[in-house]
Amino acid sequence: MSEPAVRVKRLTVHYEKAPALWELSFSIPSGVLVGILGPNGAGKSTLVKALLNLVKPLSGEISFFGKPFKTMQKEIAYVPQRTSVDWHFPIDVEGVVLMGRYGKLGRFKWPSKADRMAAQEALDLVGMRSYAKRQISKLSGGQQQRVFIARALLQEAQIYLMDEPFAGVDMATERALVELFSKLKGEGKTLLIVHHDLTTVKSYFDWTLLLNSCLIGYGPVEKVFTQENLKRCFGSSAYLFAETKKLAQAKSTGDK
Amino acid sequence: MLQFFLDPVLRAPTLGTMLMGLASGMIGCLVFLRRRSLLGEALSHAAYPGVVISVAIASFLFPFSEKGALLSILIGALIASLLGLFAIDLLEKRLNVKSDAALCFVLSTFFGVGVLIASRLQMTHPLWFQQIQVFLFGQAATMVDGDIGIYGLLACLVIAILTAFLPKLKILYFDPDFAKTVGMKTQRLDALIYVLLVLAIVVGMRSVGVVLMSAMLIAPPAAARQWTNRFSTFFLLSAFFALVSGFLGNVLSLYVPNWSGAPHLSLPTGPMIVLCAVTLCLLSLLLSPKTGLVTRLVRIGRFRFRRRQENLLKALYKKESYSKSWWLMKRLEMKGWAKQGALSEVGIREAEKLIRLHRLWEVYLVHMGQGAERVHANAEEMEHILTPEMEKELQALLDHPQVDPHKQPIPGASSGVSPEASMRENL
Repeated sequence: MSEPAVRVKRLTVHYEKAPALWELSFSIPSGVLVGILGPNGAGKSTLVKALLNLVKPLSGEISFFGKPFKTMQKEIAYVPQRTSVDWHFPIDVEGVVLMGRYGKLGRFKWPSKADRMAAQEALDLVGMRSYAKRQISKLSGGQQQRVFIARALLQEAQIYLMDEPFAGVDMATERALVELFSKLKGEGKTLLIVHHDLTTVKSYFDWTLLLNSCLIGYGPVEKVFTQENLKRCFGSSAYLFAETKKLAQAKSTGDK
Repeated sequence: MLQFFLDPVLRAPTLGTMLMGLASGMIGCLVFLRRRSLLGEALSHAAYPGVVISVAIASFLFPFSEKGALLSILIGALIASLLGLFAIDLLEKRLNVKSDAALCFVLSTFFGVGVLIASRLQMTHPLWFQQIQVFLFGQAATMVDGDIGIYGLLACLVIAILTAFLPKLKILYFDPDFAKTVGMKTQRLDALIYVLLVLAIVVGMRSVGVVLMSAMLIAPPAAARQWTNRFSTFFLLSAFFALVSGFLGNVLSLYVPNWSGAPHLSLPTGPMIVLCAVTLCLLSLLLSPKTGLVTRLVRIGRFRFRRRQENLLKALYKKESYSKSWWLMKRLEMKGWAKQGALSEVGIREAEKLIRLHRLWEVYLVHMGQGAERVHANAEEMEHILTPEMEKELQALLDHPQVDPHKQPIPGASSGVSPEASMRENL
């Protein structure tokens, strides 16, 4: 495909009437592993949600392989933050993984044998072979994350959007997942991953996108992950941006 | 028992309340999963002014039509409840009121307005007031076959729609963001569920009343959750509990006055149903095999007793004193660990296993950097807990140690030293 996997033009998203993302423009080719980095409140999760049409942008265009989200919906998989879900829900691991099939099936019917086998394969890939019938409340953080990844695998998508997949996860899981992501990249998939650990960026990702409400830089890690960019993104000069954001928000909501 | 389904007086209340229970038990599961159980309470109380006003209107428009009155009450309750829902949404989304405050506000305001108008009507139109009271506390016993038509239809509608959408609801309620990204029309589905909730409440009000309705939404799911971890089973079980409560409520309200020897005492059906539902819930919380309180206490007790037996065994082996009861000693003998106050072969091996686990664990703790003086107390606990698999792992990890941190030998350490030899060393 000659079109970039993800193209964003002048994306502005207002979160509670203040700009959470300001005039973002970037373009990601297919087959790369992108790390989305930025300080807290930078809008990383907002960017992912805007890409997924979960949050309505104020202005700007988003396209996937040249087409809008609604058309490409089946080719995009979302791995939300682990903490966004109630893990005491009455469902087992297999049940969660099988949710990945919903998009492909259209009207959700009871899953077939083929679907279950695919779920088992996905669980094998994430190292949770014997956990299919396990209650999700009995899982550790790393295991929960792996279940989410397995669900995404079942969607058989071209583009993967993940929100902090390594948060609160043990080292073994992290290593296993990084290997899996590399494998997916090798198959030509595009992965955009919100990441929080600056020390592992160089070893995990090909590309990086530095964000602090505005785009600081994007591109191959060697070119973009520089001292200067990091200072701009995380440094003390960035705090002013956060302060003005708060002030602007207060003005529009009438807070003091 | 069959009379409850055949007798012309009994069958309408029985069937009506069972169907009502089925609907509310199922939709209650969804409210329960969203942790918004107070919503049922708020919406049922919000329906009250609708009942009051529509009784007044109906009595003007159809002074002699029962059906007309019933229909308008249903519609009035529906409208008021939906208005309450809208008000809650407004408070939470636009006015930034926290969920619990919004629910309480709507509950008390709407209900207060209803009570205000109703008390006025009590003076001016006492007949209307009677009709209103039917819906405040429920009056299942006066339901007739005609009522079953409307209520039954509505209840079946709720049940049918829920069953059809169950797979989608599973996804929607577990991970709503994910559901949106895979193309589910989440807003429409949410709206549908709210409408079904209000329908279930309005149907249930006739049987158990505004005041008690929320119990029928909460108790069956709370009970069912104790018995299963599977989504579909959760719904089925909740429906089943509600069904049983409905039936038992009717049975008990008829028979208890007779049994207790005071047949002139009448027990209203609605509260009896609620009492049954709540009792089922309580029993589930206490006795369910996985999570019940009583079950847990029994498990704890059994572990403690086993620990005492094992401690006695160790004491006999080391020839130390240990306060024992006759029963404790008997248990050891029953297990084949002792015979006439002395240890058997099996008993000796068991005691050595305990000591081995104790000392292995001490080695492990020291290996993990803990001081040798501190490890004894923890090892005393862990010797009763470590599994054979863990023992294997410890042996492998620590490279089959022969002695513990206090230089005492580890009995039966797999190095070829026989248990008797190490025992001799120990003595």
